[in-house]
Amino acid sequence: MLLVLLAVVFAAIELLPGDAASATSERGEGAAGVAARRHLLGLDRPVWERFWDWITALPTGDLGTSARGERVTDLLADPLPNTVLLGATAFVLTALGALALGLWAAARPRGTVDRIVDLTSTAAFALPEFVVSVGLLLALSLWTGWLPAATVTSADGSPASWSMLVMPVLALTIPQTGWNTRIVRAALADQASTPHVEAAHLDGLPTRRILLRHALPGAWPAIATGVATATGPLLGGAVVVETLFNYPGIGAVLAGAVADRDTPVIAGVVACAAALITVVLLLADLVRARTLGARP
Amino acid sequence: MTATAVRRPAAPARRSRPRILAPIAPAALLVLVAVTGPLLAAHPLDKPVTEPYAEAGGAALLGGDQLGRDVLSRLLHGGSALIGNALIVAVTITLLATLLGCFAVLSPRLGRLVERIADTAILLPPVLGIMLLALAWPGGGRLAITVVAIFLGTPYAVRIVAGAAAPLATTGFIEAATASGERIGHLALREILPNLRATVLALFGLRFVDAVYVISMAGFLQLGPQPPEADWALMIRENGAGILLNPWAVVAPGLAIGLLAISVNLAANALAPATARRAALR
Repeated sequence: MLLVLLAVVFAAIELLPGDAASATSERGEGAAGVAARRHLLGLDRPVWERFWDWITALPTGDLGTSARGERVTDLLADPLPNTVLLGATAFVLTALGALALGLWAAARPRGTVDRIVDLTSTAAFALPEFVVSVGLLLALSLWTGWLPAATVTSADGSPASWSMLVMPVLALTIPQTGWNTRIVRAALADQASTPHVEAAHLDGLPTRRILLRHALPGAWPAIATGVATATGPLLGGAVVVETLFNYPGIGAVLAGAVADRDTPVIAGVVACAAALITVVLLLADLVRARTLGARP
Repeated sequence: MTATAVRRPAAPARRSRPRILAPIAPAALLVLVAVTGPLLAAHPLDKPVTEPYAEAGGAALLGGDQLGRDVLSRLLHGGSALIGNALIVAVTITLLATLLGCFAVLSPRLGRLVERIADTAILLPPVLGIMLLALAWPGGGRLAITVVAIFLGTPYAVRIVAGAAAPLATTGFIEAATASGERIGHLALREILPNLRATVLALFGLRFVDAVYVISMAGFLQLGPQPPEADWALMIRENGAGILLNPWAVVAPGLAIGLLAISVNLAANALAPATARRAALR
């Protein structure tokens, strides 16, 4: 499936009017010059040939060469870890936050907490990340002056201080936590109506014990799948949030590559993102298989 | 992923009117204001009336933007296109998904194809998709974004409809209709479709919320509507640099998008019966 996706991405870029040779051309360069570079970049070869070259080099860790002649792996080496750091922190916070809120709400079904959590999580997941970012900027930076508004990059290409991570991470976490809290809450509600949980209730076990020991294990597969699907939106949101906070991630590389019609760079970014998402989804499947396998 | 938990395929019990109206009213009011907004605007949307990033007050109630244009007037102009676009996307996806979903449960081959496409699409974050396809069509502007949003949203939506329709395909009345030699089109449209009202309604609400998200995201990335158009998301991007001088130029459109997203989402949530909502939660 990864293969199909990458082929589609390749084809999509191919359909763009204009190509890397003309997009990176200097002003005043003649048609002959553009044609020469088109040949140099191999753009006059058929698209499936170039795709085959690129895809067969992929397993060796070679992502090809960008239209400006840099190796794509070098181009992504600095910003990619920054974006992954941003996304991974947000992912962990989302998972923990959603789990805590979902459990808290499920402890008293239809109680005040349950209703408030339901309302706020529903409200939160509809918010685009950049709107949350603006709100955070205003509250944490302009009015209180607690955090710096933009990211300053240190010499090694990573953010200069951890405080510059706080707002981008929060902007990513808040909408995703809203969505996942609903999934956790729904999965726990499903479990609450199963016979063994009802039996535990009748036995008079404390609510916390029932939730953690009896309801939660059965809810794991649904929760894991739900949280795993947050990977895509988190990575995508990271690209957007990066532009607002001037964070040194793949967002900037991607914007430049799209403007240059730089197929290998875009395909490289999509390949990295898709590979990451695949791994997380596989982990979720693993959790599902283990849970279902443990219960005959 | 597990969209099979539809226990009550028939129409759900009706809820009392006030309880339904309360969550819908804010969304309806907001949409009304956004659509009639251009009539209320005091200034033309592309003429400077104050100095750049002027503070609120005087000629402009919410101050000026980066070119000194009236923020309030631009705000009133900016909503209708976003809402109209989102509505088109949501209606199209819901229609497509409902049709395809009904056929998918009756034809295993189509069902497998849909499943594959949805599994592939999940590997492409929406923002990357917008970037790719919107640039495949430079100058496509809003139309390009609309098409992208439909393309990206349909696979999931089909899966939800198919998930809700799957239990129906094995029920007695469908089997009876199949046995009496009805063709697939009749089965899908006359036998299955009428039983999916609740799911379709929930789907439409969620797709509308998602469309507002995708379209405003594209606006923010400056891939959809182009300046000097007044678009809420575009206003946030354009005026970001002046947030210290006139915060309203950024905060007002931010609030507008936030309120729209939240109120529509709450309305969709209230309209959808609990079982269908569960099914629509991926």
